[in-house]
Amino acid sequence: MECSFGITGKGYTIIASDSNAARSIVKMKTDEDKQKVLSDHLVMTYSGESGDTLQFSEYIERNLRLYGIRNHVELRPRAAASWIRAQIADSLRTRNAYQVNLLLGGFDLPTSEPALYWVDYLGTLATVPFAAHGYGAFFALSTLDRYHRPDMSLEEGLDLLRRCINELKTRFIVDLGTFKVRVVDREGVREVKL
Amino acid sequence: MSDITTLNGGSCIAFKGKNCVAIACDLRLGNQALTVACNRDKVFKITDKTYLGMTGLASDVDTLRSAFRYRLNMYRMKEEREIEPETFAHLVSSTLYEKRFGPYFIEPIIAGLNSNNEPFIAAADLIGCLNFAKDFVVTGTASDKLFGMAEGLWEPDLGPEELFESISQALLGALERDALSGWGAIVRVITPDKVIERTLQSRQD
Amino acid sequence: MTSVAPQKSKSGFDFSNYSRNHFLDGKGLGGFTATSTGTTIVGLIYKDGIVLGADTRATEGPIVADKNCEKIHYISDNIRCCGAGTAADTEFVTALISSNMQLHALHTGRKPRVVTAMTMLKQRLFQYQGHIGAALVLGGYDATGPQLFTVAPHGSTDKLPYVTMGSGSLAAMAVFESGWHKDMEQKEAVDLVVAAISSGIFNDLGSGSNVDVCIIKKDSTEMLRNYVMPNERAKKEQKYGFAKGTTRFTKEHIYSMIQKEDVFEVGSTAPTPAPLPAAAAGAGGEETMDTS
Repeated sequence: MECSFGITGKGYTIIASDSNAARSIVKMKTDEDKQKVLSDHLVMTYSGESGDTLQFSEYIERNLRLYGIRNHVELRPRAAASWIRAQIADSLRTRNAYQVNLLLGGFDLPTSEPALYWVDYLGTLATVPFAAHGYGAFFALSTLDRYHRPDMSLEEGLDLLRRCINELKTRFIVDLGTFKVRVVDREGVREVKL
Repeated sequence: MSDITTLNGGSCIAFKGKNCVAIACDLRLGNQALTVACNRDKVFKITDKTYLGMTGLASDVDTLRSAFRYRLNMYRMKEEREIEPETFAHLVSSTLYEKRFGPYFIEPIIAGLNSNNEPFIAAADLIGCLNFAKDFVVTGTASDKLFGMAEGLWEPDLGPEELFESISQALLGALERDALSGWGAIVRVITPDKVIERTLQSRQD
Repeated sequence: MTSVAPQKSKSGFDFSNYSRNHFLDGKGLGGFTATSTGTTIVGLIYKDGIVLGADTRATEGPIVADKNCEKIHYISDNIRCCGAGTAADTEFVTALISSNMQLHALHTGRKPRVVTAMTMLKQRLFQYQGHIGAALVLGGYDATGPQLFTVAPHGSTDKLPYVTMGSGSLAAMAVFESGWHKDMEQKEAVDLVVAAISSGIFNDLGSGSNVDVCIIKKDSTEMLRNYVMPNERAKKEQKYGFAKGTTRFTKEHIYSMIQKEDVFEVGSTAPTPAPLPAAAAGAGGEETMDTS
């Protein structure tokens, strides 16, 4: 019942994920941060099998950090996405594959372009203007498709995100609680309250 | 629909013409019935005059794309020349057959002009059985429909512009009847002196 | 746990995707269909040698994947092998044995024998316990005379004067049973093979299109590709061409492969310039650039 969204706009990418930690039918926690800030201009949301998600995201986080330390330059979003995809695809070839679904939101400094990548547990990588994982995708993708414009201002982008979350609040049977939202732009990553 | 080869959807087709070949694909990437992206080009440049189309599991398409890039670069360095489409078809075939008992879930098609500018097309199944067709090859979730369209529309000795019209209409016709493919298409016509790449509009449902 | 470098398998096969596919199978995402040659393949011994025959249809489930594929594979100059079953397997197993036969011939310095090929094939197929889905008809002429075998996917073999294999084998065998006799003439033998394959083509859905025939005699091998073509598509009476501009496109990009290059030849390498008009001649003596 996890859900995450990503929206790109004019010079920024918004990343949002629900903050429920559930086990079976029980809500264990309502302030879980299911995102990792991978570098100054890259954030990742993760969902999926509970053990795998944290294990995998920490593995990614630390390896990208290591790359930054070694090379004095962070991987650009496209390169990071490609490498992360390869990690999932490789792990799928083992007996105990990581079952994680990711959204990667970033801002590519050299081109000044926002970047958003949709990655699933099979190692499918898609470059998209907006994305969603989980049941939320069924509700929100149509809204995103209708209202998204590549030249949206940040406020318009956040409004669109509010629309999507509102749709879930009214139509989705499960209450997903509050969403953790981060924005990546030229200045870096910051958390915003909706 | 919960079959691994139809999970992501997508289709490719290639036509042989007179001194030219055309290769086209749709742009959908889905997750079962959910459309995730409509910018998924399934045709990749191998050399200036050889293109490879892959449909099936999108993850494997990405994995194989980098595997082929590696092998092609090795070939270029060892041989100091570009690979011929015929040779590349065999490279694809043996790469897939190596995984005979744990295959990649993709079906490739290859279209290109060889160094004598003779047109060449080929297709393979997921374990690398090559099919050197003299007319057209198809692959993907719309392959059944594409077979029918191509049987009707393909004609021998079509020039680049006629070939573009025929392959486009064949693909668009098939996309009309495939739920898992569509959301636009890209057609590439390869001629001895240029490659014409055109983006088509198609059904958005 | 994470990226495990794929281990190179000694058999030539790479099983690194196996556990992934098994995992996907468990999620109900398994299952695939490879191209199979539903196929009618036959072979018989006649007075002067062997005649092999095959249809040319390849299928993928109910779809005809290839209307004119080649099922008579080269093993050596005097040995050929018809393949039925999983198309990729017949293709690769015969290519492998063909190479090994050539190495063997070079090593021994003798003309290869059909039993050698048969033994190599059965050993490989048996090793893979039927998972390499190749059903073969192997025929050739060697030092011991005309030889004809069938090799089943599990590695068992038969040595018979006339054989059929594939989904059309029953239809073809019916023809052989009624028409084959000892020491047939070549014409008679080829006709019988064509009749047998034709009965497969017309009565078995897995077989179709054309008849390929191969005649192997003591000193010659004749491959008659598309010997009979009983299923030629009727010529289209009219063209179905579309007028230019039928298909609307939203974007166009042209990658030109013609590299334009301006060549400037300087000084003594330049061709002698055309004689200048009298007025300009006064300014002569300086170096000119040929920009043609």
